Amino acid sequence: MTGTSDGSRGPILLRCEHLSVLRGKRTVISDVSAELRAGEIVALLGPNGAGKSTLLDALAGALPAAGGRIERHGRVGIALQSPDLARRTVFANVTLALAWWGVPRPERAERAREALRAIGAEHLARRRAATLSGGERRRVHLARAIAVQPDVLMLDEPFAGLDAEVRANLLEDAVSALRSAGRATLVVVHDRAEAWALADRLLILIDGRLVAAGPPRELLEQPPSTVVARFLGFDGSLEDGHELLLTRPAHVALDPAGPIEAHITRATPLEDGVRLELELGHGRLYAVSPFPGPRPGDSVRVRVDGGARFPLKESGAAGAVGSAGSHGAGTADRGAGQP
Amino acid sequence: MSLIWDEIRRAVPMILHGNPTLFSIIGFTLEVALVATAAATVIGLPIGLAIGLGRFRGLQVLRVLANVSLAIPPVLVGTFLFVLFSPQAVLGSLHLIYTRRVVFVAQTILALPFVVALTAAAVQGLPPGLLAQARLLGAGRRQLWTLALREARIGVMAAVIAALGTALSEVAAVVILGGNIYGYNQTLASATLYEVNGGYYADAVAIAIVLIGLILILMCGLALLQHQGNGIRMRFRSAT
Repeated sequence: MTGTSDGSRGPILLRCEHLSVLRGKRTVISDVSAELRAGEIVALLGPNGAGKSTLLDALAGALPAAGGRIERHGRVGIALQSPDLARRTVFANVTLALAWWGVPRPERAERAREALRAIGAEHLARRRAATLSGGERRRVHLARAIAVQPDVLMLDEPFAGLDAEVRANLLEDAVSALRSAGRATLVVVHDRAEAWALADRLLILIDGRLVAAGPPRELLEQPPSTVVARFLGFDGSLEDGHELLLTRPAHVALDPAGPIEAHITRATPLEDGVRLELELGHGRLYAVSPFPGPRPGDSVRVRVDGGARFPLKESGAAGAVGSAGSHGAGTADRGAGQP
Repeated sequence: MSLIWDEIRRAVPMILHGNPTLFSIIGFTLEVALVATAAATVIGLPIGLAIGLGRFRGLQVLRVLANVSLAIPPVLVGTFLFVLFSPQAVLGSLHLIYTRRVVFVAQTILALPFVVALTAAAVQGLPPGLLAQARLLGAGRRQLWTLALREARIGVMAAVIAALGTALSEVAAVVILGGNIYGYNQTLASATLYEVNGGYYADAVAIAIVLIGLILILMCGLALLQHQGNGIRMRFRSAT
């Protein structure tokens, strides 16, 4: 799998080919090929321990490559996951970053003001870093990275550790602040919702390997393998002849006239309803029903609208629900379909 | 208890009436303490920063050695330097033994480990993301060191305070190398020892009081400096 774009955007600013990276003696990144073009925002998504931060460090030049090659056309700026700021004012922190970057002194103040304004942190300028909340620190950390105006901007989980409301606000501001015609942005995200909100393209990294790349909607509609589908939230599975149908809760609806009979084995209350685990003779599906919904033990009829189909033989270990780490299905190549 | 009180009562007039020898010792002590601390700071800060921030082979060994150097007894340092500076030895041609200059050298060498080890520890304690982020945004070595010194200033000032304390009060190496010659190369600490050995307890107490006063004044000054710019400032609230 390679993370190349369709070429419809600007020139390539960063490219890696068959990149391998070691941490100590352990291979963390294996054979990753990807490229970033000017004007695009790419999200690097993967479970914990997949090697996202390691890949970012290697692409930025902070870690040596054990194999393959990296081409950089322009300067790479990276914002680490932990938003550690100097014990100065917010404004001084941003101008300090500009000084490190080599921006001439007369330009620093204006560029710092612009970056703070872009990320909605202008009102924090005079505050000392020690007095900022977690969300404000993240905001300033982002402003600092934007202010230096790198050709390639890399952000390592810029929204980590924030509560839902603060994260939503920052995400909203970041979407417009990060978009720049001349810059390529690579954002490591842990949460899929952040990736949908930000990215033009997704790179999905599992166990150090790039298992999928493409626009978010495309990947969601046609996950290239069961491993990717599982990672993207296709947690329901249903054997249908020689095919395996993987579904997201949105694909499954309770319908008295539905063709499939199922038993409720679990009902978990959610904010907007109840998540139901549905046991079938030939699989298990998940659906979300309005509150209060049926109870465990009830029999219901359901219908499936959409989902992703894979040949049962090729999907290999895919029948094991949640086996995102399995490579057996890494090359299974199927699209979405109707049951 | 009454003996100590009697000695203090006899010592106070000596200080107040201004004994010229005492003032000369105070002057020399201040000179030695400030010069030795400044020299130890100039030499020790870069070493401490390199040990604290560096990424090179043998770093752990250097960190252990820096900490070990804090525990070496001054009398051992004095003896080692005496052997090194004695007329027949490698550095004998410098003719330092029993001079005023050797007191500066001894106190600088004794103060140095405090600056090195405590500076290294102070910068090692900084949030790792701060310096890594600076490196990734293109900060050069000088910028990194400046950032580390600024951010770890409380710890670094503690290192300088410890060095000054050593330079003010250390006595063993000064006596071994300088000979503790009356009115020539005595510091307040070595002069106290001299007076005690001679049985002049009132003089010893007078010198000790001055030494303690000097230590208090200098340390308070540095402690205020240490917390300046760290959000801790003395404020006087005016009545409204």
